[in-house]
Amino acid sequence: MKARRPSATRLALFALPMICLLAAHASALEEGDRAPAFAAPALDGKGTVELSQYRGKVVYLDFWASWCGPCLKAIPEIEDMRDDFPADEFQILAVNLDQQKKKALRFLEKNPIGYPSAADPKGRLPDQFGVETMPTSYLIDGDGVIRYVHRGFSRGDGSKLREEIRRLLATQKLGKK
Amino acid sequence: MQRIVLSIVVLSLLLASTGCVRVKPWERDLLALRNMAWEPDPVEAKRESHIYFSKEASMPGGSGGGGGCGCN
Repeated sequence: MKARRPSATRLALFALPMICLLAAHASALEEGDRAPAFAAPALDGKGTVELSQYRGKVVYLDFWASWCGPCLKAIPEIEDMRDDFPADEFQILAVNLDQQKKKALRFLEKNPIGYPSAADPKGRLPDQFGVETMPTSYLIDGDGVIRYVHRGFSRGDGSKLREEIRRLLATQKLGKK
Repeated sequence: MQRIVLSIVVLSLLLASTGCVRVKPWERDLLALRNMAWEPDPVEAKRESHIYFSKEASMPGGSGGGGGCGCN
């Protein structure tokens, strides 16, 4: 029996959905990848938030938005973490992804945060990081390498995050010795 | 003739492929608005969802719009 050669149309019909699927799953940054050295305008309009400014410190980078319930649950926990670790070794940064900045500012009026938050209404940074869910946070070491990725936020995640930060700070201290 | 048909098919498929865009998790801002849900009233939404999955024998019923953070 003679094997039929697939026609160009059939190939196209097969290939296009595959291309679509591949395009939809753009690569997400994982542990071991270098974090993009970003600089974005601050949410409060005062200057810019730059990752490179915190080189040498362990950075906890949180992507959040005022419309995302779990993000809002995470914020008080993150704020509490600030007091648990030395300020000269640990820094929290946030990137707000609200399309309307005023919604984020309204939330922060009631729930003030003591760490810098950038505003990225166009979603340039989550695209670079390959954020797959909201909220997503990254633990970045002093060399700018991602050491831990935390997706979503539910009860009990705060202690898990603290554990990861503690571990990374200890590793960093060992590396310096 | 066959070549023309083939070109039309391939071109239409290429055009259609531009429509396969996934709403990214951080783009759900407007979708999360209360008035974007099929049923903004939570009690009514729960009742409708219950009827839906009872009739369709499928979970989780209704729509995925509204209130979403893309995390589930």
